[in-house]
Amino acid sequence: MSWNNSDKYEYECFLEKYKNIMLIFVFFFIVLSVRLFYLQIIKGSYYRNISDIQRLNRTYEKAFRGFIYDTNEQIIVNNSTNYVALFYPFEQQYEPTKESIKKLNDILKRDISHSIEKSWRYGRVVKLAENLTIEEVFKIQENRLFLPGIHIVRDPKRICYNSIENAHIIGYVNELKFEEIENIEDTDLKVGDIIGRCGIEQYYDKYLRGKTGGFYFEVNARGRHNKTFTYEQPVMGNHLYLTVDSKLQTVAYEALKNSSSGKGAAVAIDVRTGAIKCFVSCPSYDLNKISSPKNYRTYLKDKNLPFFNRCIQALYPPGSIFKIITFIAALEYLNYNPYIIQYCTGYFELGDRVYSCSLRTGHKKINLISAMAYSCNTYFYTLGLELGVRVIVEYAKMFRLGEKTGIDIASEKKGFIPTPEWKKSKMKMAWLKGDTAILAIGQGALWVTPLQMANLMVTIANRGRSYKPYLVEKIVDSNTKEIIFQHQSIENARIELDEYTWQQLHKSLEAAVDYGSAKRTKFKNIKVAAKTGTAENPHGKDHAWVVAYAPSDNPKLALAVIVENGGFGGKVSVPVARKIFKQYFNIVDEPEDIELIQEGKNVKN
Amino acid sequence: MSKIKSIFVRIIDNIDLTFVISLAYLLFIGFIAIYSASSNISGNKYITTQFVALFIGLIGMFLLVNFNYQYYKYIGKFIYLFSCILLVLVLFFGTEHKGTKGWFDLPFFSFQPVEITKLMLILSIATFIDKHWKEVTKISVFIKTLCFTIIHFLLIMLQPDFSSTLSYFPITLVMLYVAGAKLTHIFSVILYGSISVVIPLLITFFKLQPNIVQSSSILSFFVNVPSSLQSIAFISCSIILIIVLIKWFLCKIKINISWRYTIIFFCIIIAGALSSVVVNKTLKEYQRKRLIVFLNPVIDSRGAGYNIIQSKITIGSGKFSGKKFFKGQQTQLGFLPEQRTDFIFSVIGEEGGYFIAQLTLLFYFLFIWRALVVAKQAKDRFGSLVAIGIATMFAFYSVINLGMVMGLMPVTGLPLLLVSYGGSSMMSSIFAVGILVSIHIRRFY
Repeated sequence: MSWNNSDKYEYECFLEKYKNIMLIFVFFFIVLSVRLFYLQIIKGSYYRNISDIQRLNRTYEKAFRGFIYDTNEQIIVNNSTNYVALFYPFEQQYEPTKESIKKLNDILKRDISHSIEKSWRYGRVVKLAENLTIEEVFKIQENRLFLPGIHIVRDPKRICYNSIENAHIIGYVNELKFEEIENIEDTDLKVGDIIGRCGIEQYYDKYLRGKTGGFYFEVNARGRHNKTFTYEQPVMGNHLYLTVDSKLQTVAYEALKNSSSGKGAAVAIDVRTGAIKCFVSCPSYDLNKISSPKNYRTYLKDKNLPFFNRCIQALYPPGSIFKIITFIAALEYLNYNPYIIQYCTGYFELGDRVYSCSLRTGHKKINLISAMAYSCNTYFYTLGLELGVRVIVEYAKMFRLGEKTGIDIASEKKGFIPTPEWKKSKMKMAWLKGDTAILAIGQGALWVTPLQMANLMVTIANRGRSYKPYLVEKIVDSNTKEIIFQHQSIENARIELDEYTWQQLHKSLEAAVDYGSAKRTKFKNIKVAAKTGTAENPHGKDHAWVVAYAPSDNPKLALAVIVENGGFGGKVSVPVARKIFKQYFNIVDEPEDIELIQEGKNVKN
Repeated sequence: MSKIKSIFVRIIDNIDLTFVISLAYLLFIGFIAIYSASSNISGNKYITTQFVALFIGLIGMFLLVNFNYQYYKYIGKFIYLFSCILLVLVLFFGTEHKGTKGWFDLPFFSFQPVEITKLMLILSIATFIDKHWKEVTKISVFIKTLCFTIIHFLLIMLQPDFSSTLSYFPITLVMLYVAGAKLTHIFSVILYGSISVVIPLLITFFKLQPNIVQSSSILSFFVNVPSSLQSIAFISCSIILIIVLIKWFLCKIKINISWRYTIIFFCIIIAGALSSVVVNKTLKEYQRKRLIVFLNPVIDSRGAGYNIIQSKITIGSGKFSGKKFFKGQQTQLGFLPEQRTDFIFSVIGEEGGYFIAQLTLLFYFLFIWRALVVAKQAKDRFGSLVAIGIATMFAFYSVINLGMVMGLMPVTGLPLLLVSYGGSSMMSSIFAVGILVSIHIRRFY
């Protein structure tokens, strides 16, 4: 027995309290045991997973994107290598230490601290420097112990040949930003991946992209490699073969650049398939220089909008080109005899308004064929009024104006055809006869893209048959050389017109080249059919249009050229079209008639 | 010679087998875990130190077992005096480590006097209570006993070593409780202490979560007042208001509580609130964060919450079978902080798995249970008190430490006695075991 016998009562008291202490203590240990069970058995897999995530790390080695070739299998885009220093966070270190930044600055002899502030982050990874030379790479590898968490990664870099004229077809690529990742449905992508931003690079991104590889390794809490498990080779993306002709691109771009305003677009389409042979928007930007933010900003600020793809994004009034539609409508709907002669005084009076013709002095006695060739407005005002707005709109819609052509580049505009209903609801004004008159010559709220005009010419050259225009002929697997995609021409619904209408239309378009406004595209051996246009522009100088196809007896190439604020179509755009035809049909040494040049200056529309 | 022989006989006759086995298991698993946590970086350095400490501890234990514990009663005063001198000396001649001036640098190892003064305090308090057994219900004796602890507490806070002082008040209070002190006194102290600590911690906690504070207007009112003194004044006023209301309500339903208690209650709350200002000033920002962040470690996952998060991951990732010793990635790759010392149990949990970890818990439980049984079976009151004190020390340390590594309690930096690395704490723990055995083998004589 413990304690003194005299203290028996006190011992009882002690035992009482002793029991309480025991109970509290047992309680605590039960709680702890339950907690241990909870952590290790119930949540064990969860924590094992977290532990694996924080110790297993990987580097990302970006795959090379596929090459892009032109129609002659000449390379347009390929890749080079760019060494990049990345920082992978570890333990409680979420940014490189000051010492390692200092060390890196010493090695690279440039200040990289700003790149951390700017936080070129791929989620948690920080990009420190790019474009490292091989010497710098070796020096960094030597000093790895003093640069915890810093890794060198080989990044592919895109290189484009003829990078200015092809810029709008190819489009630029850059890294996926952190803010964007939520809006992207593609789960394969992660922050920092290179993706195409516009053009072919964007539309065919999935084919071009390839598959990221890299090292899988274990890191310790300080972020250093402990051991490497596997290396996954990055898989290169697929090669694209385009329909465009690089030489044609260069010629067209040069011609547009040297035209009166230096702004404009040229689209040429193979009449037989819908393949786009030439797709130029001028001015353009240099694809190889765009990765530097400084150049990018300069381009953005440029008033001539080099990023603006005029072939599909710019909307212009078609001007006299639209007379083709009016012509067809007249022959089809009114059974109009094109040889009816009207008298053009140089102006057209409608109520109290006076609409002028392209030639101030008037074309005098003229039939519809010549009116097309010379682009006489007066004749078409009359025709338009006879047809009425609904018929004109119906025929414009039949020729797919106001709808997308479906080219394989994003952000195509669909244009617009005005209707009386639209005018009433939008402008709160009734449709007037004057509106119909100017619609007949392609003015007013009528908007088309150069691609639509080129496609219109395809339809006309083919007598109603047309195709969905496309840029990519085939896609080839970069490893197996297997063709994984071959373009099949998709024919649009054929437009059925009377054979007589086609004949007369072709005749009138040839006449425009023969003696009319498009004389300067005349060649000795190849017959060209064309129509010029001068679209009035309320904001500045008129836009100069020309649409054409050649050879007219066996059409191969259709094109549309616009020189923005260029002036008269016959004077400014036609020479551009001539150069494109010359290059495409390999016409050598056929100087333009000096006379024609002189004459061209006097020709209007 | 014969005397030593008789001691051996006594030990072997009276030894508590459960106690010895659990002690041996704890030491064994501790050594394996320490070796596993340290060998890949520092080789045998730590394990050797620990062995030396154990060896010295065992020698000391043998001497202490031989020494009749009842003599402590007679030298209690001197033990207390000596412990105070040690604590004062370390303030002058000690070396600083991690901002705490608490180590004597001896030729072969450094020695932390706090670990040993803990035991001395238990002995001296037991002496004092034993002497004033009859008057222990009096407030004067109660306060005097507390004074012993407070002096130590203040001396240690001068180092400053916050975590070591944590166990002092619980041990003293438990000893007083067992000795028969009034519950009112004990609860007053507990209330006072918790008010003064909890208020600044809660404020810190809510400051870490600005979005919660913004969504609740009352909270933002308290947290965003310019000075902590003002906010404390507000809080205490509102508490007092609540007390008055309760009192009024109790009167209504004819339960009468003397005004005297109510006033005392007031005073304690106000005193607690006032001293919370002092606590707020004494504890540094990071300490306060560390103490409270366990409630939701994610709010400061890169700072104060990091240790808890990693410790939970480490234990949890062991699952049932464990990752085998020397192969736990959390430990070996250094994700687990303080793995030799405070978070040694996480190493056991990760590498040993659930079975070993639960076994460790169980043996710790058995060990403390047997220590408490020593108190129950002790021959005299003094022995019981000492044994209760020591058992409480082990229990408090283990509950706080295990609760901390499993994310249930604040990160205080208390080691798991007998298992964690640390020469001084190992030695003093073994000494404590020696005193327990000394009490135990003399229970019949």
